[in-house]
Amino acid sequence: MSAVQPVTAMAIPPELARVAGRRVLVFSPTIHFRLGPGDRALVVPGDAVVPGMPIAERTPDAELVDVGRLERTERVRPVDPPAWEKPASDESVAALRQEDRVGSTESQLAVPAGMDVKTGYVPVVMQQDRRRQPFPGKWWVGGGERRGKPARDKQTLRLGGTLLFETHGRWRAAAGERHTIVESPIAGVVREARNCVDVTIAVTGAALTGAIAAGEPSRGYLDVPRLTDGELWANALDVGRTGAVVVAGSRISAQAISRARAMSIRGLIAGSVGQGELRDLEASSLRQKASLVPSVPFGLIALDGYGRRPIATPILALLAALAGLEVAIVTDPPLLVFDVAEVPLPEFPADWVRVRSGQHAGREGRWLESAGLYRFRGGIHLDAAVVRFVDETDTIVIPVSDLERFIF
Amino acid sequence: MTNQSRAFFALDFGSATTAGSVLGLVGGRWRLIAHAAMPSHVDVDAMLAGLLTQVGLTDPEMLVELGGSADIPSHVATWPRLAARTTPPRRIAVLAGSRRQRRRLELAALRAGWLVVGGSADEDDPVVLSRLALSTETGAVLLGADRSPGNDEKRHLPDLAVLLAAVARCRPELTVVLAGGAAAYEAEFSAPRDAQPGYELATGPTRAVPVIGSSVAPVESTTEKAPVRTKKASKKAAAAGQAAAGDSPPAYVAKLGGGVTESAAGATAVAGANPPPVASMPLPQASVGPDFQPGSDRGVSAYVLLAPDAEAGQPAGASLQQVLEGLRAFPDDSRLAVARSIASLSYVLDRSIEVVEIGLQGGLRSRSEPVGQGHFAVVSSHACLADASFAPENPSEEAIDGVLAWSTTVLDRHRVMDRLNDLRLVPWGEADGDGAAFRLAAAKAACGRLVDATPEIAVHPMPELLVAAGGVFAAMPPSVVALALADLFRRPGVSQLASDQARLLGPLGVIDDEAERRQLMANLADDILMPLGSLILPAGVRQGRSAGSLRLKDGSSNSEIELHAGAVQVVDLPPGRAARVNLDFRDAVRLGNRGHRFSVDVAGGLGGLLVDLRDIPLRVSDRPDSRRAALDAWQRGMWPEIDE
Repeated sequence: MSAVQPVTAMAIPPELARVAGRRVLVFSPTIHFRLGPGDRALVVPGDAVVPGMPIAERTPDAELVDVGRLERTERVRPVDPPAWEKPASDESVAALRQEDRVGSTESQLAVPAGMDVKTGYVPVVMQQDRRRQPFPGKWWVGGGERRGKPARDKQTLRLGGTLLFETHGRWRAAAGERHTIVESPIAGVVREARNCVDVTIAVTGAALTGAIAAGEPSRGYLDVPRLTDGELWANALDVGRTGAVVVAGSRISAQAISRARAMSIRGLIAGSVGQGELRDLEASSLRQKASLVPSVPFGLIALDGYGRRPIATPILALLAALAGLEVAIVTDPPLLVFDVAEVPLPEFPADWVRVRSGQHAGREGRWLESAGLYRFRGGIHLDAAVVRFVDETDTIVIPVSDLERFIF
Repeated sequence: MTNQSRAFFALDFGSATTAGSVLGLVGGRWRLIAHAAMPSHVDVDAMLAGLLTQVGLTDPEMLVELGGSADIPSHVATWPRLAARTTPPRRIAVLAGSRRQRRRLELAALRAGWLVVGGSADEDDPVVLSRLALSTETGAVLLGADRSPGNDEKRHLPDLAVLLAAVARCRPELTVVLAGGAAAYEAEFSAPRDAQPGYELATGPTRAVPVIGSSVAPVESTTEKAPVRTKKASKKAAAAGQAAAGDSPPAYVAKLGGGVTESAAGATAVAGANPPPVASMPLPQASVGPDFQPGSDRGVSAYVLLAPDAEAGQPAGASLQQVLEGLRAFPDDSRLAVARSIASLSYVLDRSIEVVEIGLQGGLRSRSEPVGQGHFAVVSSHACLADASFAPENPSEEAIDGVLAWSTTVLDRHRVMDRLNDLRLVPWGEADGDGAAFRLAAAKAACGRLVDATPEIAVHPMPELLVAAGGVFAAMPPSVVALALADLFRRPGVSQLASDQARLLGPLGVIDDEAERRQLMANLADDILMPLGSLILPAGVRQGRSAGSLRLKDGSSNSEIELHAGAVQVVDLPPGRAARVNLDFRDAVRLGNRGHRFSVDVAGGLGGLLVDLRDIPLRVSDRPDSRRAALDAWQRGMWPEIDE
């Protein structure tokens, strides 16, 4: 069984409908890349993007620059661009991918301001911007105008960034010397692109929903190793998995994250990740960005939440079926995007349920019947269900609010 | 469904919980027939059908009487619905010329329920400030200054206004609020601008709107004077209106589209009662913001709203808070509706009421009190805080400390953070056992933040009725909720405790017409709140010795107990029972007045009568082990089931 679009919900008993349905797959989701002052979009709405295509240019160390007076050129009305300036089609953009850039969605290599990133590819938006009068958010390249004279024996650095505002006829910009390129980890169509604000893309294909994402959008081949008691030991993350997005089991530890980054692994997928580990990763990413040492983007996704629990069997089966294929980790919203047109769906009975919280969190089984209002520990009365876990003969009464069922 | 409808549904769509109630006209008055609360993912129609099924099983004749038939699917589809819903959290960026001003503005925005980020020109550079406003998470920007800006902020204002106008051009969907002296820079936002071809390509048609010049008059007085008339006369008029309306549902039911035609008569009759105004600090009814439909003027790219400065109103900042609430909240926002309901209930019951509501997206503290000759007017104040969520997004260190301070189990900081985050992801998860204890600690911590943020309410004496509302309290045993209220509201006095178990305060507060709301409140006064009991909270009890004695006269029976300092003592007093309590203290204590002997009237509840002889404010050891032991001992006395 496979799907190319959302599967119509199966008929289920009304009592089972009270169990929270978890939609595992989403089709054609919309994702966001947030930009800030000094950042610009390299695409325009309607552009088709493919993995590895530059979509934005960031200025990590943007600071306030007094640009001075800018000459107001004759106003250019937005008209249909000439043929050579039209947004590149899928094929033409794909042809520009001169090398296999799998995973390198945000290059940390310093790019001179205003220079085109890929030889032969000049984003249309850049060409259009040059002939327009200054406006907030417009890309600006300068350097000679920077206050203070540079030392005679030092080279004048060029600055690039976006105009912020004009006061008393003088423009201020958020600009810096160092720039990084954000490459699209997925294929899709640009919905919205605004300098300093965001780039929004409608993804082509399907994606697996996550609860938490951290790090940067990244891309790699999906590696589903054999898990020991639902977990992957950190020492299994070796150099052989370079370039992979690894399914790491129930929980991602700080040690596993450090090791994965050291091995140039592109991403980790787990059932849960703690807030402590997320803070470590954020601090590590900031240090990495501040340094001049190039690093590959690394992202992680936790499918369930923060408390330890194994990856759900239906999701693990889905990931196993996609092993070896290219996938992308997207952080806003948390998604694992597949590059396949048709997603193979695992087959599970409609009454298959999983405990998502509480002392039995992570266990799975079959819904047997409703238990009505039931008195649980602490004198708490909750709507309950009778469930039989896998490999067990006895039944157990679980609060319905602790259960989830899967919808593909 | 016909115009014979004698019932309707009241729905509260919360972030985590959907509560539904069936209200029907029984015996000539509106009564609460049934209610239920389910996780928000559950289908509402299925929940309502389940409620009606239970009503049908319990009393089939009543179901037929209410709906004209026993056709439940038809009733679910056709009965009118009165609904309130929680507004999703929104973020506002506060910009100011000075840190002093930024703090004032942030306080007003926080009290209006916004998630707040802020910066000031004297501390942050324009790149940092523009980053705050350009973020797509930011829904509005507040730029403010004093009415007559001081030198510390005056010199920064022109640059800030220009910066903000530039940001608004990049993000036309942004709402800009200019408060106080910053309103002088309105022209920066209304001046025609050159088109931005690049952004036109990027964003499609320009969403231009004219500047909304709303001059909001500062609320100077806390008491709105009304014509002098007694409440008795007013009630008579309301009763006359009700009689004229006969059995017909009130006007709001007709407005809901239920096909009720007689309701207009009721509305007319009630309007004739000419009820007095209630809230001295008006609660916003409509919002201006992204929902606002823009016009077609080109050149202005943002929604601009003018507002009073951060010191206007009583208490200071109330006027700006009101504007920001209107900007943030849906017209049928349940949190603000609860505040409106409390004001109406305060008038109907003629007693001071304080409510604390804790939910997933924030909390509310509101107080209403009848004042003036004949208690004809009601003074109200309230504050909504996004930070008062029981599971705040990205919990701060202070939030973690708060949970740890109320936790009765050993937890480390990382574990607390993970559990809070999980609670936010799955609010109904692990609602029993240890999970219930953790939720209680999280709710108390949220309540504590709310109490700390509303000092102007805390200066008032203990209210006559203290109400706990919100989904987090709904599943807790009543005695535990009563103890939580005693733990957190520590002012000397006697108060009746209640819980908004059916979550009716939100839907009823959505009714626009004050007279109709009061009329319905008067009908439902006995049903709206679940009595938890009464709380006697004396101050100045000396520790380490017997505090005195309590004698309870309950109808024919008398009972006497000895009072022990530092303890919470519970006297069994079931719901519906009233009693007179004589307290004889060994030392002089404060219980309203200072003295040794007091005689107070108390009402029963599911938690009984609580006599809290602990310190005011509550003193618990700073050592974690001792603190946990003390909290556990108090809690175990009220919640023995936790050890099951």
